[in-house]
Amino acid sequence: MKPSKEELERRNIVGVGAERVTNVTSTDYPGHFPGEDHAWDLGYFRDNVTIEFHKNEPLEAEFSLIGVDASIANAFRRMMIADVPTFAIETVHMEKNTSVIQDEVLSHRLGLIPFKGGKTGFRKFMKFYKKPEDGEEHSYVDFNTIQLSLNVECTHNKKAAKNETDVTKLYNHAHVYASDIEFNPVGRQEQYFSGDNAIVPVHPDILIAKMRPGQQINCSLLMHKGVGSDHAKFSPVATASYRLMPTIKIKSPILGEDAKKFQKCFPKGVIELQTVTRKESKEEGPFKGKEGEWKAVVVDPMRDTVSRECLRHDEFKDKVELGRKRDHFIYSVESTGQWRSDEIFLEAVALFKEKAKKFEHQVINMAR
Amino acid sequence: MSSEQYQVPTGSGSQAPGGSRNFDAEPPTAMHYLCGDCATRVRLEKGQPIRCGSCGARVLYKERTKRMVQFEAR
Ligand SMILES: [Zn+2]
Repeated sequence: MKPSKEELERRNIVGVGAERVTNVTSTDYPGHFPGEDHAWDLGYFRDNVTIEFHKNEPLEAEFSLIGVDASIANAFRRMMIADVPTFAIETVHMEKNTSVIQDEVLSHRLGLIPFKGGKTGFRKFMKFYKKPEDGEEHSYVDFNTIQLSLNVECTHNKKAAKNETDVTKLYNHAHVYASDIEFNPVGRQEQYFSGDNAIVPVHPDILIAKMRPGQQINCSLLMHKGVGSDHAKFSPVATASYRLMPTIKIKSPILGEDAKKFQKCFPKGVIELQTVTRKESKEEGPFKGKEGEWKAVVVDPMRDTVSRECLRHDEFKDKVELGRKRDHFIYSVESTGQWRSDEIFLEAVALFKEKAKKFEHQVINMAR
Repeated sequence: MSSEQYQVPTGSGSQAPGGSRNFDAEPPTAMHYLCGDCATRVRLEKGQPIRCGSCGARVLYKERTKRMVQFEAR
């Protein structure tokens, strides 16, 4: 027996009350409803999953993933944060640092700078660096280590005006920026990381240290490919999160001044005020004889923050039903710049596939 | 893996610590310090008064080690 459309919709909505959420667990698995088969099916999955982009900029993407279970959606989110690799400085060889910033702090700051470089080289050529075991030698080679150097010295600027007070004009290199870091390619790195593909900091204006004349920083930096689960500096996202699509159901019409008040309970653009048309006012129903009056209409529930403000007012409490769609995930991915924000998601999907294949292998071995 | 693995030079890390030091040479008779007042580099011979040559300050600081120090960027 197939459940009705209304029943399916009811199952798919998490209720949001003033002080509680209802219907929180998903029920679409085998054995939950008698006579209904909810076994996972590739064809059904393929036909029902949709991805819809709302915003796709290099550093920020917002998109909906509709028709998957929370466990899958959450796996993608976690993999975007912790499993998609990027470059970051890992080791600092400090030759000289007479600036006021301590070696450890400077090293830490250098580690957090995001770097970008040729993507073919990053994907195909560069491998992960394996930390040596106790007693083992370091194995720095061109496909696992990138060499950078930072050599800056602060001096007096002879050409500065006599009464100059701006330190950046008074001295040379008073501020050390990420753009002062040089890339020194070795071996086959020339092929993959030259010209537009050179390895450079994503944001050249990151302030690393401040200096005064006579102070100097000389260090060589070793960079590796790494993942966010090892250290947050390797994470390709500033944030990757999702929320469920809000739903607002107006059960009985909200009219006149109430409609205006109702609109103010939501963020801009969620509720629109429309006038009751002549046709509606002539028909039998709640709009009868109300031609020209304002009525509240839900136009863009995605913008809602689900503050539940409307449920605090007695006049709306019983007229509106708030909820969230269980299988509609609105992702927000903010890239740190090494990848385009949409690439991060694709990369996470590819990793998911790879992991699933490895797991399949394990299961087959186990069953043997 | 390919046969032409390239060893990335790691600066002074690959040398023995202080490798260039020659113990047969004359021990250095002069040391350099930094003036606490004017930050100039002050050269001091053995037995010389501890005093900055250019400003006369009596507080001198030892220079930072010339050895490479390795840190984890974490
Ligand atoms: Zn002095």
